[in-house]
Amino acid sequence: MAQKRRGKGPGPSQGEDPAGDEDYALTQSASQVRRNLERLSPAQVDQKVSELVQYLLVKDQKKIPIKRADILKNVIKDYRGVYSEIIKRAGRTLQQVFGLQLMEIDPKHHIYILVSILPRLEVDNLKQDDCTAKLGLLTVILSFLFMKGNAAKESAVWETLRRLRVDPGVRHEVFGDVKKLVTEEFVRQKYLEYNRIPHTDPPEFEFQWGARAAKETSKMQILRFVAKIQNKDPKAWSTQYTEAAAEEAAAGGLFQDISTPGDTGGASQGARRRTR
Amino acid sequence: MSEDAGSGSNSLQGRGLDSGCRQPFASTSRNGAVPEHQQRRLAGGQGRQRPLEAANEGGDGEEEESEEEPGQGSERAEPDGNHTDRRMLRHQYRQLINRVQQNREDMLSSKSNSLTDALQEANKLFSGVSQAREAALDAQFLVLASNLGKEKANELHSEMTVFDSPAFAEDLLTFMGLNRLEGEENDSDDESIASGFLPNNAWHKLGAEAERYFRRSPSFHYMLGSFKADPPVPRQRIERQKRKAGTEEKRAMPAQLKKMEESHQEATEKEVERILGLLQTYFKDDPNIPISFFDFVIDPSSFARTVENIFHVSFIIRDGFARIKLDQDKLPVIEPSHEEEGRENDQNAQVRNQAVISLSHQDWKDIVETFEITEPMIPPPGISQENESKYLSEDFFTVQSIYFFYVFERIVEKLLTMLV
Repeated sequence: MAQKRRGKGPGPSQGEDPAGDEDYALTQSASQVRRNLERLSPAQVDQKVSELVQYLLVKDQKKIPIKRADILKNVIKDYRGVYSEIIKRAGRTLQQVFGLQLMEIDPKHHIYILVSILPRLEVDNLKQDDCTAKLGLLTVILSFLFMKGNAAKESAVWETLRRLRVDPGVRHEVFGDVKKLVTEEFVRQKYLEYNRIPHTDPPEFEFQWGARAAKETSKMQILRFVAKIQNKDPKAWSTQYTEAAAEEAAAGGLFQDISTPGDTGGASQGARRRTR
Repeated sequence: MSEDAGSGSNSLQGRGLDSGCRQPFASTSRNGAVPEHQQRRLAGGQGRQRPLEAANEGGDGEEEESEEEPGQGSERAEPDGNHTDRRMLRHQYRQLINRVQQNREDMLSSKSNSLTDALQEANKLFSGVSQAREAALDAQFLVLASNLGKEKANELHSEMTVFDSPAFAEDLLTFMGLNRLEGEENDSDDESIASGFLPNNAWHKLGAEAERYFRRSPSFHYMLGSFKADPPVPRQRIERQKRKAGTEEKRAMPAQLKKMEESHQEATEKEVERILGLLQTYFKDDPNIPISFFDFVIDPSSFARTVENIFHVSFIIRDGFARIKLDQDKLPVIEPSHEEEGRENDQNAQVRNQAVISLSHQDWKDIVETFEITEPMIPPPGISQENESKYLSEDFFTVQSIYFFYVFERIVEKLLTMLV
């Protein structure tokens, strides 16, 4: 599994984590964890695992990444000593029962997301709600960012969106306050990154892919999306294609992935280990 | 450096290497000229003499501009510079900076040379700079220009197939089901908004397609929704039934305060109705003779009752069911108003007059004597009523409450008589 785990061996608690003593409990070796485990009854541990699974599922509703600190505070509480074991088991349950994978998208701040590992069906999704529409908007932005070299200024993004009748100054009938949606919600969900360009006055910002976007989709996927929309072969954009293929190759082999629409069975798409 | 002694061209070359990093901005039309300009900047405040000498020595004819500026020498001579000139210079710099910022897109476009032109203009201006303030402006411009240059360079090193975002946008709209209206023309290529009608589910459609490229975990939600819907409805019905049972019970059991307060309210209304009924009955007998007000309301045996009667009658008047007038003797008379004159409360058609009747205990006594009132026209409730059955069906509470009130009034009355 490509899941990063905490607690195996001495962790990097060099003052990076905000809660120092919490980290102490977590950075216990595997044998220590096993010993702690023996002290507890299996029923207790199972209970905690179930609670964690439910907690993760509910927290994932809004697609805001889940912090480890929250997990510890709300679910684990006194069972810190066996945290790593609980997380491991919860991850396994999620995989086997729900087809979801628990991924750590930020090893420094310990933030988790849930990602689906089931193959996508060709059938139209029946449930279409606001989330679907928002995803459409997000995909447009991600496509634009990727095709323009992985980053773009805010003004350029808005210019493109205006062509699609999405204007940050105007209340959109589907999205409402679009500026807030794009610069706050998507950023909080870690789909996008919104960074200030240095040395600009008045301050200007640029967008980049966020950590969640990197895990939930890939450059190749987005390229395929663009190709589908424009009715061309993905290879038509050679630079982007090369870049996407390189990303696949780098991550490939770690995670056997699902078939995607239009995939001609090329390289297996690996876990999105995003490196910049 | 050996430029002092060396020939101009040598120094030119030497400097050219130093400023090689600035090459991309050079326009090819001025071979080697630009490095020369920028060297001047490099030299900065230090060896200003040298480049000037070198330029003068160079004399290749490439440096027309530098030689056209005799002002350099004179500026060097006056380190403070002319204030007006400096202000002018700053103004020009600011103008230049503004211009570059406004025309950003134009500068970035690979088709135009406007960035280069702006740089050259700045170069020109720089030659007049002698103080730090203007130099700071120059530096600001340089930062701006170099940022733009970097962006421009970024755009250059893009794909072989340039990603055409307007075309992408158009294709997206098509995918979303844009209904391009016939007959509407996009007159120019600059028009960025396509015409046509975008259906409501456009973004949903796009999102559904996009979903296939993501590995999103489905949102967790309960299949049957939340529990809120059902319980409130039957609960209301239950409450209503209970209340009905409750009221019946309460009738049987006298000792509850709540009902007493309610019946207090009802009592007033019922009283008013009763009195109205009486008034109408009396009037039926004698339709033409209006009843004297005092005859009607005064109760010779009880001052308190009288006040109560007046209180109730005032409701009748307010609601328009009856009127009070002054007759020939200037005594008030009361008569019911007829239907066609309207009886609604909120009628504005009727002229409303208000009057305050004051009646003291003494007045009451005097009136009783004068008018020789022996019996009240409004019998106190509970003594004689025509619809006895109706009364019995009401709560005992009404009775109790009125009795209580009556007793209270009696006490008040007694006190008053004692005072008088």
